[in-house]
Amino acid sequence: MGMKERADDLAGRRHRARAMGGVDAVARQHASGKLTARERIDLLFDAGSFTEIGIQATHAGVSPEMVGKETPADGVVTGFGRIDGRFASVIAYDFTVMAGSMGRTAEVKCNRVREIAYTKRMPMIWLIDSAGARIQEAIGSRNFAGSGLLFREESIMSGVVPQVAAMMGPGAAGTAYIPALADFVPMVKGTSHMALGGPPLVKAVIGEDVTPEELGGSKVHCEISGVGDLEVEDDRACLAVIREYLSYFPSSNLELPPRRACDDPAERRDDDLLEIVPDNPRRAYDVRKVIRAVVDRGHVFELKPAWARNIVVGLARLAGQPIGVVANQPMVLGGALDNDAADKATRFIMLCDAFNIPLVFLQDVPGFLVGSKVERAGIIRHGAKMLYAVSEATVPKLTVVLRKAYGAGYFVMCGRAYEPDLIVAWPTAEISVMGPEGGTNIIFRKEISSAADPEAERARRVEEFRKLIDPYRAAGAALVDDVIDPRETRPTLIRALEMARTKKVERPWKKHGVMPV
Amino acid sequence: MPEEIKAHITGIVFQVAAKPGDRLQAGDPVIVLESMKMEIPVEMPRAGAVKEIRVREGQTVQEGDTVAVLE
Repeated sequence: MGMKERADDLAGRRHRARAMGGVDAVARQHASGKLTARERIDLLFDAGSFTEIGIQATHAGVSPEMVGKETPADGVVTGFGRIDGRFASVIAYDFTVMAGSMGRTAEVKCNRVREIAYTKRMPMIWLIDSAGARIQEAIGSRNFAGSGLLFREESIMSGVVPQVAAMMGPGAAGTAYIPALADFVPMVKGTSHMALGGPPLVKAVIGEDVTPEELGGSKVHCEISGVGDLEVEDDRACLAVIREYLSYFPSSNLELPPRRACDDPAERRDDDLLEIVPDNPRRAYDVRKVIRAVVDRGHVFELKPAWARNIVVGLARLAGQPIGVVANQPMVLGGALDNDAADKATRFIMLCDAFNIPLVFLQDVPGFLVGSKVERAGIIRHGAKMLYAVSEATVPKLTVVLRKAYGAGYFVMCGRAYEPDLIVAWPTAEISVMGPEGGTNIIFRKEISSAADPEAERARRVEEFRKLIDPYRAAGAALVDDVIDPRETRPTLIRALEMARTKKVERPWKKHGVMPV
Repeated sequence: MPEEIKAHITGIVFQVAAKPGDRLQAGDPVIVLESMKMEIPVEMPRAGAVKEIRVREGQTVQEGDTVAVLE
């Protein structure tokens, strides 16, 4: 064969691999509302920037059941490309080839592109649409005993490079640990699900009848379990949110997050900020309105918006600089913190700190929930976890006390003792170890019970107590840096952010701490 | 089919915001609890008519207690 014939032969081989599982399987993929692995990659990366690794791969031929089977690219498309000009590495499972099952050769390919991401310090992206391990090639102790490398690597590289695992189909059994260890997990509505044991296994082991959707659909994981970060409508939306998510992140923890030009004036003072927080301090409002009035163009990329809604976390920009916003949400549970809220905020604080993204805390927190139910559920260690994360974070930290700042809620939301680079309060701020009613009842119990009119005495004492918690007392002691007009929030934060860019905090050497979990 | 609305937090009934026969939208407050220094509404899970209110103002309710029943 001459070189021209060899080149034609190569083109034919590539053509067959790009056809994936064949016309019928691709049609079934489309009919189920999904794009193919290759279509997804085209949408994920900047046009024409994808370089494929391992297109000639085929199954390992180690299993008698696989004899005569063709597995184009061995069921997974791998390689690297650019997102907004910056490199990222990708593993896209191809459901049209043996249900995207992970074969032996596929694993070699995956190891190869993870190595690219990890040694060249670029984001690692998984597009998961896979039935899990290819049992024909994985069964037996000889095949299984050495496996699991990817989870160890993913753990070690956590916080070094951004890791995104998009659920765009099934992710059964071990595959579910890929998203569990990743930083960001969007899930496509209707087509994606993940569970450690799929419905047949669940039926066999514990006798429960359950559908994949009920067991681990996007609603379950984005609203109840908290494993998912964002429910998205379809594959296109999913790939768009991955691109947007990564736009806030540096390629690795060695770099600063990318700044953008910003046409929203730094000095913008939004009059709406005078109207959002109600006069009645016990009345709820939507804190997202405050966030939108402050950040660039009112845009915030919220993570886990449907889970632990009593706290809002999201990525946004101030004067083009990416920030992470942590805000109490009075609209849900009055903004009181519980276990899930602590989990959500802790994880987000660690994420931002790992990738040099400054944190902005917006406080309106009546405290942590109390009572036997939450104590039994371990709210002490969950609260401690948030204390731990905010203490460890060395990125610039800015705190605005909008209204309530009570008890440990004030601490975990980066109160004065937690090294905020600036802490300011709105005139509505109430900073106290406990609220006026609770505090009065404890401190003045005798005076109230022995008064001629106990109710009038209680009311008088509560009013006195209320004067003690206004922010001018704390500002008078120079323990908050200033009291600001709410309309000054954006310019104040932007100036502080610029001031804090050179922040350098040294911590004592340790292997690692012992984090409460 | 009747559906019970349960308190999602322990607290004191600050206000009964609906009465039997009221037709409300999803998200409308049925009662308002006072808890954690805040007024926290217990909301309609869906649009529908209120059949019964099981609590009165000033009463303490535990998380999970039924506060109202829908038609």
